[in-house]
Amino acid sequence: MNQKATTKTTYHIPIGPIHPALKEPVYFEFELAGERIVDVNVKLGHVHRGIEWAGMRRNPIQVLYLAERICGICSYCHPAAFALAVEAAADIQVPERAEYLRVIQGELERICSHMLWAGVAAHEIGFDTVLYLTWQIRERALDLTEYLTGNRVTKAIMMIGGIRRDITNDMLPRIKKDMLYFKDNFEKLRHVFLDDKTVKMRSQGAGILTKDDAIKLCAVGPTTRASGVKKDVRVGESYFAYGDLDMKCITPKDLTGTVNGDVYDRIIQRLLEVKQAIELIEECIDKMPSGDIVAEPKIPKLLSQLKKTNGEGVGRHEAPRGEVIHYVKLDGKSECPYTWKVRAPTYNNILPWIPMLMGEQIADIPIVAASTDPCMSCTNRVAVVSSGRKYELTKEQLHNLSIEKTRRLMK
Amino acid sequence: MGIPLQLWFMQWCDIEIIAALCPRYDVERFGIRLVGSPRHADVLLVTGPVTRQMVDKVKRIYEQMPDPKAVICVGNCGNTGDVFYESYNLVGPINNILPVDVHVIGCPPRPEAIINAVAKAWVKLETLEAKK
Amino acid sequence: MTKKKLTPEEVVKYLKDEFKTKIKDVKIVKRKSGSKKNESKYIWMKVDKSVFKQAIKHLCKLQFPHLAVASGNDLDKTIELIYHFTLNYDQRLDEIVLNISVELPKSDPTIDTISDIIPGALITEREKMEMLGVKIDGIPDDRRVFVPEDIPVGVYPWRKDKTGPDKFYKNLHEVKK
Repeated sequence: MNQKATTKTTYHIPIGPIHPALKEPVYFEFELAGERIVDVNVKLGHVHRGIEWAGMRRNPIQVLYLAERICGICSYCHPAAFALAVEAAADIQVPERAEYLRVIQGELERICSHMLWAGVAAHEIGFDTVLYLTWQIRERALDLTEYLTGNRVTKAIMMIGGIRRDITNDMLPRIKKDMLYFKDNFEKLRHVFLDDKTVKMRSQGAGILTKDDAIKLCAVGPTTRASGVKKDVRVGESYFAYGDLDMKCITPKDLTGTVNGDVYDRIIQRLLEVKQAIELIEECIDKMPSGDIVAEPKIPKLLSQLKKTNGEGVGRHEAPRGEVIHYVKLDGKSECPYTWKVRAPTYNNILPWIPMLMGEQIADIPIVAASTDPCMSCTNRVAVVSSGRKYELTKEQLHNLSIEKTRRLMK
Repeated sequence: MGIPLQLWFMQWCDIEIIAALCPRYDVERFGIRLVGSPRHADVLLVTGPVTRQMVDKVKRIYEQMPDPKAVICVGNCGNTGDVFYESYNLVGPINNILPVDVHVIGCPPRPEAIINAVAKAWVKLETLEAKK
Repeated sequence: MTKKKLTPEEVVKYLKDEFKTKIKDVKIVKRKSGSKKNESKYIWMKVDKSVFKQAIKHLCKLQFPHLAVASGNDLDKTIELIYHFTLNYDQRLDEIVLNISVELPKSDPTIDTISDIIPGALITEREKMEMLGVKIDGIPDDRRVFVPEDIPVGVYPWRKDKTGPDKFYKNLHEVKK
């Protein structure tokens, strides 16, 4: 790797979800002084599929299935926010049982997503065994998802006005057993991530996002909560059944007593959220009322009601990565929405990368970027890198730099 | 046998491919490994829809692979476009760009289906070798 | 960030006192959910283009809002930009979603940037520029965000008039070799 004194060197940094061969193009342009980064320019990667445009040509129920495919890991939160937006625009009241079921599905997805992330983070530090461990736990969560909805990932469980499948009483023992399994393994994970010396050395003090920056740059999700900002849609807004549940906004202060806003705090944040998700699912199962699961079971009737609706609505949901917001405008003349705007959480978490990466070493880039849990296909980004001196650092080289640093620290 | 993974950013299929590597499905017990570079690979897995910007890159990666090689198209998006069929940013089905040997349909296909597809591609490569 | 708990009516009054007739069509919507029927609160209002930036500055004095995103509508002769803010986000069940819409004529779709007041607005403003053809004055970075380079300037994917992307689409399964 050649380096000269001043250096506007451009790195194409592919950042995961996961494995060495996986690339999601997010391009960073760094200006370096030695090994340290002094200036960062983020340019985003290509995944533009024209989804919002396609959505304007379909009726709202078809859009639900389109919305699911915006992103693989957050496949529940996009239809959820969309359904909330349409229900707000058309003033549809959702039955209570459906609200509780929606919470259970959402929290289950949160567990799957955070487990996936934990594996990624471990991999970026160099602990592949932990990747396989966490994904093994995730497989159990996916099995539960399949049991409840019929599929591992594309669940298609959301419907406008309610939910498509019920959780009957004979399914409850299985859910309770799986929750116990997660609780036991949570302790194991906590020990692996939070008590390990090397993880602490790599992550403490790296990628700091101050509370001030997090507020000004409108960061969302665990990234911002780990910096001490109490922003959580489930706590602030009453939607689904979150208003009835005993919810509070978690920050790393609850575990360690201080908030630093570094990568270590983000790891703590996500582990605590998994614990909270397990508790919320158990609370929901205890408190769930009986009743209908959907406001209008006959789809043609629902569609004709939506066709006549003239209104606009905003739907917000707390996805595993942060706040998802959908805006829908129905014009009452055609079945298709007049406007549909999707904003995925990673969108707001991109600008915070800049203060996080300033002053960091190159070897820390993978773990810092992965700590915000970026989901590039959600964000649909474009990248064009053009400038000065370019040379490419492949994903392997960057990943190897990160692993080498870990080995050095372990000595 | 190595397989490089080319991802056109469709999260779904990628996750199921990685799940295939994990201890539950464990594709490595068949002698299949995921490699990072096309030069070490025998089979190319293409997932997701092909956007305009990616056409040249896909072709270049295919050319870098040594013979004999096979291409597997994973997921509905590459095959027919799936829900993105009318998008203004997408370029034809993958078999217009590369010669595809095995199509795996599903949105996303299960890890078992992916392993099945890789096994079929492997058999095809072996028959090609045997013919020579 | 102030700890004062605001109600939607107070927020509306605060803005209307300062800008009077430049704020129109105010609607406060409350939706109930769950067994306890807690309410979620939404404010919709239209702000005149000329006072938009001052209105945002004034709002920041009350409480620094969280900008979720700015969405846009193509309404035939005008383009409507809707900025979705939230206030009170750290208060349990008291969050207010404030949707401020600004209408810009298609003949002169310019508006001032708010990224100097709220730095997090940068990416969403850039997106509006490329998707709707809106010109944002004073924006520090006006490069494209999502739309690929080979879609020419002048084609705006969210517009429904002739500058839309219609000529670029086709049915993938009908594409012949």
